[in-house]
Amino acid sequence: MSALSRPWNRLTLAGKIVLPLLALFAVLTLALLVGVALGPIPYVVDLAYDTVAANLGIVRFVGAVTAILLLTIPTAFIIIYLEMKVIALMNLRLGPNRVGPWGTLQSAFHGFKVLGKEDFTPTGADVPVFTLAPAVVYLASVMAFLVLPFAPGLVGADMNIGLLYFFAVGSLGVVGLMMAGWSSFNKYSLLGGLRAAAQIVSYEIPLTLSIVGVVLLTGTLSLNGIVLEQSGSFLDWFIFRQPLGFLIFFIAAAAEGSRTPFDLTEADSEIVAGFATEYSGMRFGFFFFAEYVNVFLLSALTVVLFLGGWNAPFDLGGILAQIGLSVDPSLAPGQLGIGLLLGIAIVPPVVILALALPIWAFRSDVAFWKALVIGFLLFNVLAMGALMLWATASFEQVEGLIWFFAKTYVFVVVFVWMRGTLPRVRVDQLMGFAWKWLLPAALVNIFITAAAIVVVKQIQG
Amino acid sequence: MAQRHDTTEIRITAGAVTDVMRTLHDDPDFRFRLLADICGVDTGTTMQVVYHVWSDATPDWLRVIVVDLPRNDPRLPSITFLWKGAEWGEREAYDMFGIIFEGNRDLRRIYMPPDYVSFPLRKDFLLPDDASRSPGMGIRHMEQAASPVGAPVRKARTD
Amino acid sequence: MTTAPKTQVRSLDDPLLMVDTPATIYDAVPPYPPQTEREAEFYALRGGEMLINLGPQHPSTHGVLRVVLKIDGERVVDLDPVLGYLHRGVEKICENSDWHMVVSHCDPLEYIASMFSELVPVMAAEKLLDVKVPRRADYIRVLACELNRISSHALFIGWLALDLGGLTPILYGFIERDEIVEMLAALTGQKLLFNYMRIGGVNGDLNHEFLSRLGDWMSHAAARIEDSQTLINENEIFVKRTRGLGVIDRETALRMCLSGPPLRATGIPYDVRRAHPYSVYPELEFEIPTREEGDSYARYLLHLDEIKQSIHIIDQVLHKMPDGPIAAKLPRLLRPRPGRAFAAIESPRGQYAVYAMSDGSDQPFRLRIHDPSYFNLQTVGLLTPGHLVADTMAIMASLDPIMGGVDK
Repeated sequence: MSALSRPWNRLTLAGKIVLPLLALFAVLTLALLVGVALGPIPYVVDLAYDTVAANLGIVRFVGAVTAILLLTIPTAFIIIYLEMKVIALMNLRLGPNRVGPWGTLQSAFHGFKVLGKEDFTPTGADVPVFTLAPAVVYLASVMAFLVLPFAPGLVGADMNIGLLYFFAVGSLGVVGLMMAGWSSFNKYSLLGGLRAAAQIVSYEIPLTLSIVGVVLLTGTLSLNGIVLEQSGSFLDWFIFRQPLGFLIFFIAAAAEGSRTPFDLTEADSEIVAGFATEYSGMRFGFFFFAEYVNVFLLSALTVVLFLGGWNAPFDLGGILAQIGLSVDPSLAPGQLGIGLLLGIAIVPPVVILALALPIWAFRSDVAFWKALVIGFLLFNVLAMGALMLWATASFEQVEGLIWFFAKTYVFVVVFVWMRGTLPRVRVDQLMGFAWKWLLPAALVNIFITAAAIVVVKQIQG
Repeated sequence: MAQRHDTTEIRITAGAVTDVMRTLHDDPDFRFRLLADICGVDTGTTMQVVYHVWSDATPDWLRVIVVDLPRNDPRLPSITFLWKGAEWGEREAYDMFGIIFEGNRDLRRIYMPPDYVSFPLRKDFLLPDDASRSPGMGIRHMEQAASPVGAPVRKARTD
Repeated sequence: MTTAPKTQVRSLDDPLLMVDTPATIYDAVPPYPPQTEREAEFYALRGGEMLINLGPQHPSTHGVLRVVLKIDGERVVDLDPVLGYLHRGVEKICENSDWHMVVSHCDPLEYIASMFSELVPVMAAEKLLDVKVPRRADYIRVLACELNRISSHALFIGWLALDLGGLTPILYGFIERDEIVEMLAALTGQKLLFNYMRIGGVNGDLNHEFLSRLGDWMSHAAARIEDSQTLINENEIFVKRTRGLGVIDRETALRMCLSGPPLRATGIPYDVRRAHPYSVYPELEFEIPTREEGDSYARYLLHLDEIKQSIHIIDQVLHKMPDGPIAAKLPRLLRPRPGRAFAAIESPRGQYAVYAMSDGSDQPFRLRIHDPSYFNLQTVGLLTPGHLVADTMAIMASLDPIMGGVDK
């Protein structure tokens, strides 16, 4: 007697996930209603509020850390997509354009694919080290986000040794790479791991020395402080006062992040995948993610140190106010009276129709309801745009965040650009370049900066 | 010697190889500095090794055929002392015919696996014989794996 | 039908077939004692040396090639290529087939430039049959071959850059290759293994689509190739990685039986089209580009020069194309006179030659195929020791081997 006829046996996979969730949801709603009616829930809520208010610092920290962890994944997805698309366009081909509009969902599906692969440990590998290596590499990149100032007031933890912490934590990645290379029981991985370690360690030195100039200029290691020093005008940005430092930093950052032309750690025409040869599935995904998060991190650090962080090159809020777009946030909704209700009820449908009718009229293959849908989407876009403009004009956090991300993504695109254009540097040429050219240049930079500071101080009395 | 279609052919014996090739290479009137090809031939009764050389003194090719190598023990001196690039050509002739080039430092099989026993391009090479000696002989093919033992299967010659 | 088979049939689960595979089979060292002096010398490791296997599955060994590298840290001390992963026994197959069928068998030998690998056995057969190829057929052959040469060189440039890490030049090379391959598909019906040459001529005449595509391509070909090469020609990283790498001098080149662009890059102006003219090349005007340095960069630039010369040749061929039949009439069953013939042409990789022996029957008695990639690959073992692992790829890519021809 087959049991295939019961309804719960005929569920599809999606049904098997959704139905238990619905049941759980129903039970929780019931419990909530009962709880609110009978009293324990308000008591618990009050207790929670008091606890949070008493320990605001820790709660803020936990919130910041969670936000950072959650931020890294979409960032990696966006950068992966950018890389695929931009390099494709430079290669005169199209890149992903099937999955999602213009292929934007491609990297999400890459993530799912990587989750679905077989996860095995090679014979002879050192299992605990093998398993932990991706985690170490990923964490090294992610932990450094804690000190990045995204916007005025939006820093994970404003340490006064922020820069030192940044580099200390970033160097943990080397340990992870060595773990991966050694534990894989594979000669290619060993070669790759050693190369990677040598490269990253040698480029750490020009990297840290090139920013000593910035530290001399500001007198603080706190990243938030460095960004605040660059506030004022566009010409206060340190790129104008430390051009050599910026250049050295950028090159050393490319080498730190194993980006082309310094990507011999993952040179897949030589040692297959370097230290990550034996990794598959999500473990490889971790290395991959860590690399792209690193790209974002290094771009963000370049922006923070040399390009003014969240400072705007021109005062967008002021311009918007001048053309009359900023709305005074102290406007009370009650003053509008019935006008508010009418506005909310009438404006959206009118705008949607106004956007849909031309589409329906001028394109004969679009049905009316499709035109309405398109109109609705466009209305959403316009509404979001208007909201963003208002937020930018009124909240300096939003404005700072926008500028920070815009500048960071400019550098991310530059990194991707370099990857698509340049061939790879050989390992001995790479090391020679770091030790013979970048290191002396960084030292010269420090010397000149220090001398200039002393001279300027003398001149100014 | 035979001249036909812009190739001149000479035939020599195995013992004369070293002297003839050295003369062709070094003599200032000949200047056959370019070795175009080296291969083995199994004529059915004997083995031969054929060299093709070219000189900038003439637009024709010169074919040097080393004739009458015995089938059961074909040996001749190697010309790797003149052209290092002939090493792999001689390895191939050894691999395919079993011709031994004395003086070649690296005379091992190049195409076939190192434990292969036959010489494939010989005229007396029978593939079923060779296949029957391989460990895969008698393997039932996948489509027969589910049928009972005793059903007709493809088999290799062992007799 | 239940006739019991005479031989014992073993199933796939037979314990006799269960071989214990220890992890040492993944070592680069072979499991038997060394058979030759060179093998003994190679596999004897001194302190600090390591044997590492490059391939047979590797993104940049140009096919299935296994190279055993003996490395000391990052420096390559010695290397031993192991061939045979693509060996298909083409020479034996040709001995059992018809003279006409040889074209399809020899096609996939140099699969990137299969016009050349088809042309040579056909030329050898024509020598044995004393067939006079019609002039139009000869001109079409030259046209097809030069187009194939350009597409093969475009691919070489892309591969060299790809092996060095640049992702973009290979796609630029593929733009050229794509157009040419579509052109040849209009002519022959195939994009890769053309099956176009026939004994006595070619398979199909030039048609309108081929000529229109050719005209479109020729109008911007030279400029576009120049343009796409500006990305890597002067690129500091590319030049630093290829200049001075794998230098061959003239004497060594001749001793190693090199041919083709690696030979001409050392300064020796040997090109079969001029040294031993075949087909209609005596009537065409072109130069033999040579370079003096003999390093990878010179080989790369030489390929670019050859593309320009090929475009010049195609130009002349189009102007001089005569009318006439495109193939000589030959019987279906060919019995050439007993004898031997040697035919050689200049393929993009070097001197491609066939030594054909006929015994009067309708099957070739011996069809020896001399592929230039096979002999050029020996040079890798000579040039790489002393350089780094990363340079192995650069040197191998600059010698342009195609494993189809190397392994036959």
